[in-house]
Amino acid sequence: MSIRRPILRCAMFCLLILSAAQAWAEIVVVVNARCGVAAMTRNEVINIFFGRNRQYFNGVEAQPVDLTDANPERARFYSLLVGKDLSEINAYWSRQVFSGRAQPPVKVGSAEEVIKWVVSHPGGIGFVDLSKADARVRVVYELAP
Amino acid sequence: MARWRPILTTLIACLALVLMPARPAVAEADSAFSLQGFGTLGLARTTSDDVEYVRDISQPRGIDKDWDALIDSVLGLQAAWRFMPQLEAVVQATSRYRYDKTFTPEIAWAYVKYDPLPNLSLRAGRLGTEFFMMADSRWVGYSFLTVRPPGDYFWYLPFYSIHGADAAISLPMGESVLRAKAFYGLSNGKIPLADEQWDISGSPMLGGYLEYQFGPWTARASYANIRFERDLPFSPVLMKARGFPLSAQDARFLSTRDTRTHYYSLGVVYDSGPWQAQLMLNHIDQGNNALESSDGGYLLGGYRIGEFTPYLGYSWVLSKSRPNAPSAVAAYFMQDSHADQQTTFAGMRWDFARNVAFKAQWDGIRGEASSLFPYRQDNRTRWDGKMDVFSLTLDFVF
Repeated sequence: MSIRRPILRCAMFCLLILSAAQAWAEIVVVVNARCGVAAMTRNEVINIFFGRNRQYFNGVEAQPVDLTDANPERARFYSLLVGKDLSEINAYWSRQVFSGRAQPPVKVGSAEEVIKWVVSHPGGIGFVDLSKADARVRVVYELAP
Repeated sequence: MARWRPILTTLIACLALVLMPARPAVAEADSAFSLQGFGTLGLARTTSDDVEYVRDISQPRGIDKDWDALIDSVLGLQAAWRFMPQLEAVVQATSRYRYDKTFTPEIAWAYVKYDPLPNLSLRAGRLGTEFFMMADSRWVGYSFLTVRPPGDYFWYLPFYSIHGADAAISLPMGESVLRAKAFYGLSNGKIPLADEQWDISGSPMLGGYLEYQFGPWTARASYANIRFERDLPFSPVLMKARGFPLSAQDARFLSTRDTRTHYYSLGVVYDSGPWQAQLMLNHIDQGNNALESSDGGYLLGGYRIGEFTPYLGYSWVLSKSRPNAPSAVAAYFMQDSHADQQTTFAGMRWDFARNVAFKAQWDGIRGEASSLFPYRQDNRTRWDGKMDVFSLTLDFVF
């Protein structure tokens, strides 16, 4: 019992650190490595994720992918990008949808699916934790907390 | 009571939909077919029985001192089918209190959208019109901050759809985006006047706008016009009220047939982090003697604190009377289109659950006794131009 307690404490401490690291991890915007885009500015990212612009500077069609609300990265992404709550993002898209202007980006359920989407679409663009970005995608914008 | 039954049914249906545990999230757009909806349950009352308050002049009757769900309640459903990557068909139906005093569901829009280029979009069919900024999402309460679009700005815009086509192009310019849109079509709809209806269907409408977006800023200048196909139904209204029709001279003077009305507007929106601010200005130039030309505008600001967004606004409208009425009867009808008032409004939006918002708002209308255009069933001898409006809404999307 007396041996177990410090181990338990240590484990809990490690868990805390881990979850804190998770919460503070950087979110990055990634594109398909072959789309010809090397870097983007914040406003360019906003324009694509809010459907204002559907093309990269080189004319390739942008194909954005979003996450479902169940992923905490979604709330963090929009909070870091535009300082908005998810309710405001959903309100924005309800105006676009019901006025017939545009449909929102496709939503997938996990970071792995975001990477899969970006890799399989020539103009794919999504956001993931920095740790999830691999060689198949290119980081074009970093959202530091 | 009969008036409440459809609202009650709608309410229960909406609640059932909203509370359904496994409802799909907004826009699961990865499937080729999507079904989405929006709605509002609204209650409102005023402090005057001398006029009836309406949301816009497409409504034949309004509300007075009793709490009523009549003017703001709405249910909308959209089915969209993307059958090719660039081609989409959309049908949207809404049920709201309309010109014939019913909640009869109608097809608000039904069109085919074709995007030949990523930033070029062409639509044809029954389309929403964007006479002013945000005019085509006026009934989607969840998408905006206030309980309803500021009346002094939107009352005089009873046009909702055309049978025609539009084209929109977005031109990215570095970090900013320039967007242009043009539309043309034949109007579709009716506007109530007393117990009669002014049929504006077939009246050609033409318009467009130029919009510039940079970071949190959006600015838009727009123009539209309509050429009315028919006269306002003054004669049948007079026949019913007084037992005689309009004289030939008055009919000629008040004629709207083949006259053109022009709509100009300017809007600036700032939307950043917790801040939201809007400034809108419009000028309506009536090409006939029956309706008065007017200037209107509003200023709105809100700041979000967690789930709550308190907001404050000010709106105004002033129309220009014509002193040249040929008769007392014509003068009476012309007075009906006069507006001269300012409104201060304050409220709170509470985003208490996913895709549902509750709002409460106070409007303090301070105008002249001659300000009659926005209202229904006016008692001209008693109305002093001043009243307060209290509103509660529950807005949702699904």
